[in-house]
Amino acid sequence: MIFALPMSPSDLLLLLPEILLTSWLCLILIIDFSFPRLPNEQLGYFSIAGLVATLGCLAWFDITGITGSLFANMFVLDRMALYFKMFIAGSTILVILASIDYIHRFKFFRGEYYFLIMMSSLGMMFMASANDLLSVFVALEFSTVGFYVLVAYLREDTASNEAGIKFFILGIFAAGLLAYGISLVYGETGKLVFSDMRAAQATPGLAIGFLLIFGALGFKIGAVPFHSWIPDTYHGSPTPVTAFLSVAPKGAAFAILLRMFFVALATFKPIWTLLLVAVSILSMTYGNIVAIAQKNMKRLLAYSGIAQIGNVLIGLAAGTKMGSDAMLFYLLTYLFANLGAFAIIIAVSEAIGSEEIDDYSGLGRRSPFLAFSMLIFLLSLAGVPPLAGFIGKLYIFVAAMKEGLYMLITVGLINIVISMYYYLIVVKKMYISEPHDPSPLKVSGPIKVVIYVCLAGTLAVGVYPQPVTDWVVSAILMFSNLADPTASLPVLPAVILFGG
Amino acid sequence: MGDYALLYILFAPFVGAIALIFVSNRQAMLVRGIAAGSALVSLLASLYLFYAYDHVKGGFQFVQRFEWSRQLGISFHLGVDGIGTPLVLASGILLFAGIFVSWHIKDRMKEFYIWLLILAAATIGVFMSLDLFFLFFFYELSVIPMYLLLGMWGSHTKKYNEMTDPEGLKQRDSVGFIFNFGANSKEYAAMKLVLFLSAFAVAALMGILLIYKYSGLNTFDILVLREQAKLMNIPVLGTTLDKIIWLLIFFGFASIAPLWPLHSWSPVGHAAAPAATSMLHAGVLMKLGHFSIIRVAFEILPETTRELMPIAAVLCMFSMVYGGLVAFYAKDTKYVIGYSSSSHMGYVFLGMAALDYISLTGAVMYMFAHAMATGMLFAMAGWVYDQTHSRDIPSLGGLSNRMPFISGCFVVACMASIGVPGTLNFIAEVMIIVGSWNKYPFQVIVAVVGIVLTLAYLFKMMRGLFYGPMDQKYSHAHDAVAVVDRLPLLIMITVSIGFFFFPMHLYDVVRSGVDPLIAKITRVVPVAALDRESSHVNHETTSPTGATSAPLLAINPAPRTPHAVRGLE
Repeated sequence: MIFALPMSPSDLLLLLPEILLTSWLCLILIIDFSFPRLPNEQLGYFSIAGLVATLGCLAWFDITGITGSLFANMFVLDRMALYFKMFIAGSTILVILASIDYIHRFKFFRGEYYFLIMMSSLGMMFMASANDLLSVFVALEFSTVGFYVLVAYLREDTASNEAGIKFFILGIFAAGLLAYGISLVYGETGKLVFSDMRAAQATPGLAIGFLLIFGALGFKIGAVPFHSWIPDTYHGSPTPVTAFLSVAPKGAAFAILLRMFFVALATFKPIWTLLLVAVSILSMTYGNIVAIAQKNMKRLLAYSGIAQIGNVLIGLAAGTKMGSDAMLFYLLTYLFANLGAFAIIIAVSEAIGSEEIDDYSGLGRRSPFLAFSMLIFLLSLAGVPPLAGFIGKLYIFVAAMKEGLYMLITVGLINIVISMYYYLIVVKKMYISEPHDPSPLKVSGPIKVVIYVCLAGTLAVGVYPQPVTDWVVSAILMFSNLADPTASLPVLPAVILFGG
Repeated sequence: MGDYALLYILFAPFVGAIALIFVSNRQAMLVRGIAAGSALVSLLASLYLFYAYDHVKGGFQFVQRFEWSRQLGISFHLGVDGIGTPLVLASGILLFAGIFVSWHIKDRMKEFYIWLLILAAATIGVFMSLDLFFLFFFYELSVIPMYLLLGMWGSHTKKYNEMTDPEGLKQRDSVGFIFNFGANSKEYAAMKLVLFLSAFAVAALMGILLIYKYSGLNTFDILVLREQAKLMNIPVLGTTLDKIIWLLIFFGFASIAPLWPLHSWSPVGHAAAPAATSMLHAGVLMKLGHFSIIRVAFEILPETTRELMPIAAVLCMFSMVYGGLVAFYAKDTKYVIGYSSSSHMGYVFLGMAALDYISLTGAVMYMFAHAMATGMLFAMAGWVYDQTHSRDIPSLGGLSNRMPFISGCFVVACMASIGVPGTLNFIAEVMIIVGSWNKYPFQVIVAVVGIVLTLAYLFKMMRGLFYGPMDQKYSHAHDAVAVVDRLPLLIMITVSIGFFFFPMHLYDVVRSGVDPLIAKITRVVPVAALDRESSHVNHETTSPTGATSAPLLAINPAPRTPHAVRGLE
């Protein structure tokens, strides 16, 4: 590999969002050190301003169509990368808004909290652009380091410490898998950039290498069998961090998975379809069945999140442009519903100091607004019309149906019914059970904003999805210039029809 | 008005529901006013629709089409034919009546009306959808309001309340959950309803997705699919694909109808639901099943329908007899009416299974007639429960002293439900029986036995509630005196009796929807249509074998060409 990079100053324009965010990060640290008496809210709003500027910059790129690649294709900025970057920046904004009233629970380092969240966000933005195994590794670890600290931010809470340790050990293990996988792939092919690997021959080393990489990314998205860290980490972390962890890293990791499977491994589609079908079925079924037994809202959403990831993997397993469109769409609906649900958990736990499902009894009387919003978010996660989640599920099923993945769809449909049960248990608590304590709840301003944004997103996308579908379809356009992955293949082995 | 009638009917309840969000629960009259006003708009528009529907022209009318998603091939495509029109009208009437039936709800009234309006709008949406996606969309949308209506404003069964066990609440629940001997909580009923309906709805969704894939047209539009989808003779798993799709769709939608082995959620749900919800549930929600089968399976897979519809003919017997027997022995008023509804839905399946011009017309008219009859019964069972806080027939009795108006209406409702001449149910029942006699004589005999059973259990309930000695603890019970309390019953009685004396428009409208459908399925053109073309003889033979129909059917159908498939005109 040659590192004599042809680079002009104008190429740096492609890095503008990241540069903006990096300088903002440093600014936040400097302000935090220089004005120790500054109220934390103001620092929060200041970091939001930086993220909004970044988001604006990304939107400007998206509208004017500024795309390209840098550093010998290590960093690409195509419209899919832009989509995921906006996804990440948007979720970061909502998470910081939701944190503003939570932050008083941290005894120390309140300013650094914003810094760490934005640092992880920056790392994930690089993940969305990573087109090379080395940049994948660096960006992934960069974003995870921030999370290691954030998960254990409630220093005096043992659950938070446990969550931190668990996440750290398993995360390091996943990093090891990733590094080992990369070395195997590099050893077999001599290439690091995804698009150069298309001609690779199938060898055992390559297969093991990619399996290891998939394992590390599976850890990131929390798919079964790489999910074991999820429940405890979600449960113990500060709730805004859980919300962040449940949305943004998944988007970033899916960007890498899309590039890996659709670009590097396009010729091996029949094989990885089987792998993804298996992982997807396991994730959906395991997540939904275990979620039934949960007594804690955060754990419930942790398991439901595992199941939701199984749904997204259906789109990946379809392995078509429509499948990846559907994934992007689904992730957006998941962002609104999941962040909204976590915002309500924060609001309720601020008011009554509990996250147990039993303490949600009579929420419909104590705070009709919170209960109604929670109803909408949970039903969107379950996939009930006219909410965004329904369209997302349907989009994914249609994409998989076109590829003939009948078994996967059947399992997915059955899982909708299972998931309906535990979401309705929460609805039952909120609306049908009588409250233990009928006093009304107060909701703070920033949380309300988060909930309103997520409500608007969930309802608007559900009622009229056309703008978003247009957006995701154009975001995945970069794959349409590739040859159809199946076209160059010999006749598919019969096992794929059976396995699908 | 005019072309946009469907949009008014569909969106008036939605707009009403949204408006209610911004009203406080303290302004009770305003809340009721908004709910009643939006229901009235919907009702008036559906009346206009019913009378403006041109049955000579037939086909889908008042069509609205908006592009909704290009990538998925979905359009917001609305339109009604002769089958949808009366059902839309029935939903409008029952929603309007239901608003008044629940006039006195105290607890969270605003929320109640919001969910009731959404439920009604969703059912109306199914009846006018011409796109498979939106048909399923509205179908699913109608399930969640049911959960909340049952859970928040429903009631436990008597046995459940008797199993008082203040400390072992858990045990009480588990007994109800596992054995469910008519002893269950409203939460159980609501959850059972939702899970049952969702489980079968996803089966139907699988069928819809299979149609979408194998038609290869990249569209969910029913009108396109029924013309162009080629789903026959694709071998799959030792059978053919069209049979699998048909079975998925049939059983998926038959669960809400409810056909016999899939019925168990329905009486439980009826018993737990508040009066207005039971009315909508039994009156129109159950008809979503029949309607969706007609709209999807009959329209898109006519050949398979002809082949597999005997399944329904077999199962409907069990529906009729089983439902009737359980209703005879049930002690809870709402269980009786609930099982009677699921028994009566067997008649509709019989009418559909015979695949005959007269019997299918009768089936659709029966859906309309049954909506009125069962709506009245549930409204009055709700009134009796509100006054006495009991639904236990043995402990009630002699209430006609206290509530003469209600008991009078109850007699009329029972007559309607049995199908006594003088009510629309009679016409519809006779048409079903006459139309299916040639093909399924045994089932017709069973159906007649079912009518006798209906008579038995309804009279038993009527005697148990209103006649005989009265327990003194019910001496405070009131009759329905106020206009708002009498209005819903009077509306439904008027409709039920009025259509007996003036059935022709209803018949013509339904017939205009049935004709092209049956012509496509059976490939037999009604003899009358041919006769008219040659000799202008005004009588009609009903079935392929040429049996002459009852005098009732000696009527003048408007000239039409049934074998020409009607599209958008």
